[in-house]
Amino acid sequence: MAQFSLPQNSKIEVGNYFKDKTNSKNLKKINVYRWDPSDGKNPRVDTFEVDMDNCGPKVLDILIKIKNEIDPSITFRRSCAHGVCGSCAMNVDGINTLACIKSHSDINGDLNIYPLPHLKVIKDLIGDLSTLYKQYESIQPWLKVGQTGQEKVEIQQSQKDREKLDGYYECILCACCSTSCPSYWWNGDKYLGPAVLLQAYRWINDSRDNDKKERLKKVADELKLYRCHTIMNCTNSCPKGLNPAKAIGSIKKMLATS
Amino acid sequence: MQYKNNPLSPHLQIYRWHVSSLLSIAHRIVGVANIIAVTFICFWALSLLLGEETYELTNFYLNTFFGKFLIIFLCWSFSFQILNEARHLFWDIGLGFDLKVAKITGILTFFGSFILTILFYLVGKNIF
Repeated sequence: MAQFSLPQNSKIEVGNYFKDKTNSKNLKKINVYRWDPSDGKNPRVDTFEVDMDNCGPKVLDILIKIKNEIDPSITFRRSCAHGVCGSCAMNVDGINTLACIKSHSDINGDLNIYPLPHLKVIKDLIGDLSTLYKQYESIQPWLKVGQTGQEKVEIQQSQKDREKLDGYYECILCACCSTSCPSYWWNGDKYLGPAVLLQAYRWINDSRDNDKKERLKKVADELKLYRCHTIMNCTNSCPKGLNPAKAIGSIKKMLATS
Repeated sequence: MQYKNNPLSPHLQIYRWHVSSLLSIAHRIVGVANIIAVTFICFWALSLLLGEETYELTNFYLNTFFGKFLIIFLCWSFSFQILNEARHLFWDIGLGFDLKVAKITGILTFFGSFILTILFYLVGKNIF
């Protein structure tokens, strides 16, 4: 049975309040989840008053501004700031997204920022994704060809076959979808989750790959695949606009018809 | 696990509901209610074997306000289950995964279930 409430050591407490010191008229309250592994306390939600007149347009800009000007101890992952690397995936305003491409002007009222849901928190907004990476490894995300390597022949792909990968190859593995899925919350150790299944489909669907049957067989499992109940939180959250629910549906259909 | 004793980040507590996720959990709850209802209906049919008195007794309870409410609720729960299951069948053949389409069919399912309930009720009342 899944545990719906948070364990005792994860209960969120009220944190510190950082009052604005710039006398700005255009303030926004930002509530940020904080947890410091070194102090042994429960997680808390700190509130920052941020001067929006001198802030970039994205949620990541707010976080960087807080780190630079208010509290340098706030911890989050970020790298490219253009929605390509997938590092800054977090829960903004109740939906998983990339902080670097989410406009804060879309959000009315206070802004709530949490780490990706149902992960072990390493610090502040950083969750532990090692299970997901292990699952990703388990689907063997590389091209498996029948060649021995002696042939020295290019494996070609027609334009039409290449188009079959559209909507799947764009995935940046930010884990927004997997951590938005209630099924993955309750069975994250066994169910592969939308991100990994979308990747699995991407390799199953690649015309150059010779291991399609084996791949399908490996994924056809009550827990690995069929824990998907088409809740569609994954598709709703994908910051790249991809459709993991459809990919999973396509795998199920392939299994039913092959 | 290296981070076994670290806190768990909040999930249900903070995640926003969507049409699709609300319908999904409703489908499950209603499914359980329907299983109980079908069992109940079987026992009701069985009680006919026990003679007129038992039948009259069930009939009496079903005619109370609560009984009527229960019956109308079951009309709705079956309607909802049927419509949402149709949605699932379309998903199984690979249709309707588009975000907009899924949202529209979800809303249609929700409102359609009430229309179907009224139809059930009227058919039961021999209006047609």
